[in-house]
Amino acid sequence: MEIFFQQLVNSLSVASVTILIGMGITLIFGLAGIVNFAHGEFLMVGGMATWFLVSAGINFFIAVLGAMILVGFLGFVAERGLFRFTLERPMNGFIMSIGLSVILQHVVIRLFNEVQKTIPDPIGQVWVVHGVDIIVMRAIVIAITAIVVAITYFCISRSRYGLALTASIADPDTAALMGIPVRRYVTGVFIYGSVLAGLGGALMIALFPITPFTGSVVIIRGFAVSLIGGLGNVGGAVVGGLLLGLVDGLSAGYGFPEWTDAYSLVLMIAILIVRPQGLLGGTLGPKAS
Amino acid sequence: MIKLIAVCAVSAFTGVMIQKSRAQDQELKIGVVAAESGSFVSAGNTIVAAARLASQQINDSGGINVGGKTYKIKLYIRDNRTDVNVTIAAARELVNDIGVTAIWGTETHDFSVSMAKITGSAKVLQFSGNSSLGAVLDDKSVAPGGWLHYTFQTEPQEWQRSGSTAEGVLTLLTPLLPHPPQHSVVFVGNDATGQYLSSHYVKALEARGQKVDLVKYPPDTTDFSPLLTRIKGLNPDIVHFWYNGDSTLTAFPQALKLDVAPSYFLFGVDPGIYQQRQLKSDKPVTLSCVPVCWGASPSPVVQEYFKKYFDLGASKGPQSSVSLLYYDYFFMYAKALEKVGSIDKPDQIVDALLSMSYQGVVSPVPLTFNVHHQVTFATQVSLVKPGTSDQFVSTIQQPPPSPPPGDPGG
Repeated sequence: MEIFFQQLVNSLSVASVTILIGMGITLIFGLAGIVNFAHGEFLMVGGMATWFLVSAGINFFIAVLGAMILVGFLGFVAERGLFRFTLERPMNGFIMSIGLSVILQHVVIRLFNEVQKTIPDPIGQVWVVHGVDIIVMRAIVIAITAIVVAITYFCISRSRYGLALTASIADPDTAALMGIPVRRYVTGVFIYGSVLAGLGGALMIALFPITPFTGSVVIIRGFAVSLIGGLGNVGGAVVGGLLLGLVDGLSAGYGFPEWTDAYSLVLMIAILIVRPQGLLGGTLGPKAS
Repeated sequence: MIKLIAVCAVSAFTGVMIQKSRAQDQELKIGVVAAESGSFVSAGNTIVAAARLASQQINDSGGINVGGKTYKIKLYIRDNRTDVNVTIAAARELVNDIGVTAIWGTETHDFSVSMAKITGSAKVLQFSGNSSLGAVLDDKSVAPGGWLHYTFQTEPQEWQRSGSTAEGVLTLLTPLLPHPPQHSVVFVGNDATGQYLSSHYVKALEARGQKVDLVKYPPDTTDFSPLLTRIKGLNPDIVHFWYNGDSTLTAFPQALKLDVAPSYFLFGVDPGIYQQRQLKSDKPVTLSCVPVCWGASPSPVVQEYFKKYFDLGASKGPQSSVSLLYYDYFFMYAKALEKVGSIDKPDQIVDALLSMSYQGVVSPVPLTFNVHHQVTFATQVSLVKPGTSDQFVSTIQQPPPSPPPGDPGG
């Protein structure tokens, strides 16, 4: 029974970083209409930046902020310098983002070499509750994810900006006529999604080592989460992330362990056949004006 | 005017002399195919670095004297971008367009086999550090006319390495455990190499009285906690993290936090990396490297090699030691060329390699190739003193004389 509860706790921590990645993708893909395959590399850059700052003696939590700012700026440059020119032709943006992901991998290799990077566990404690090991840093990652989800959900569904953003997606032309700066909103969403990737990378390196190729692995799960939940739907990303985390945790524990990835992707395929719009429904991205 | 004429004459004479000197030094074209980009870059870079160090040392010491001519090595390095198609294209270019006499590489079995189909038909020698080549190197394939006649496996056969590793791990861990270990879990990445290597290692452990459970993980796994929890539920005496150093370095700290087992073995994790990462366990941990460790080698020759290797700017990573699967064979090849007296007689060069022994860096005993073109050397296994990151006890284990029951060899 202890092993079962341990697997549930594991599932929750597996889910948390996935939710952060999925949420960034769902915002950028679902709300800005940009398929950014380099989003995983944005996460990797966040992790590498955190490693660099922590190695230079900076406190981990300050380094997290630094990584978020850096990746947010990277997102701003990428949106203004690249993706802005592909809003009319999303496939061009998609191919461009694949190129960007390879470029970012090799820029990082050039700067820091190819060897995986790690930092000491910022907390380094384990709580043992009724025989279940709870790694404190993982609990903190879960808590940070919950806070970020709550803030994002509030901003999208309750704030004035969120309503304007929703209007921009529903009918960009009318929204523009009513004075909503649609393109500026696209930039804002892209930067926010990138900041989330920076946060995800910073938290990830507190749990696992990161290599220049980490991004290309996590991006698949990020897209799976955002599609399962429904593109553009923050709540959907949370549901999708929890579902994948649970499937991963329990299948690794009780199924064929080497098929762990396959279980969650089969689930994604099944959900998309039954509910093409995702579990909680979503958008297909705005029609850029 | 006279001064000007004198200067011109001296310049012309100097130029002629330089050209003459260059003309005397022939160029020995050697290809290197390795991943300098893509996901195998950690291993690929070590091949390139080893090739650069070896060729620089050979050239600096005067080159290779073959049939009265002095040859200097010129490397033609090609990035395979961790892509088998690029590997094939690079091998074709090196063989057909550039005309190399030998190729070093690659970091993975599938790529090496693909390349061997090109080098073999062109009678170009190939040196590949993949123990899994043992699955295809046999009497027929290495015979004259066989497709692997010109291919050499520069890593010991897997049953040998598995046997020496298992022996070293059990020898070092047994005195530190409350009872002799009986139950091992081998935790391995589920790719072609992982499957091949673990099949031999499981047999080696079983031959030493261990009940073995094999748990495979998807190769790109980062969060191992669900799998490690499953392993914890099996109550093993030893968890063996097998084959991929990078994955092991991700999984092992998680295993420590989840308190998965009373002892561990980490394959492909150098003591230097263990120390660099400041890993620490109150449980006994053993380590082994492919093929010898740069972090805690008892051999001064190996220590000197790695000093020169890192001085060239190579990275200190889990796979740095892989460079020693490639370095010595440059010198061995040079000796074979000198013995044959020609760079254009590949069959005689193969015979020369098979008949010679060479005292290299990788092994305290001279390297020799067996009839299947495979080398044999010992394995270093190190024990980390519990509670420390930088104190190691190392043992050098010789390979067993024959494969264990149920292991087909290869």
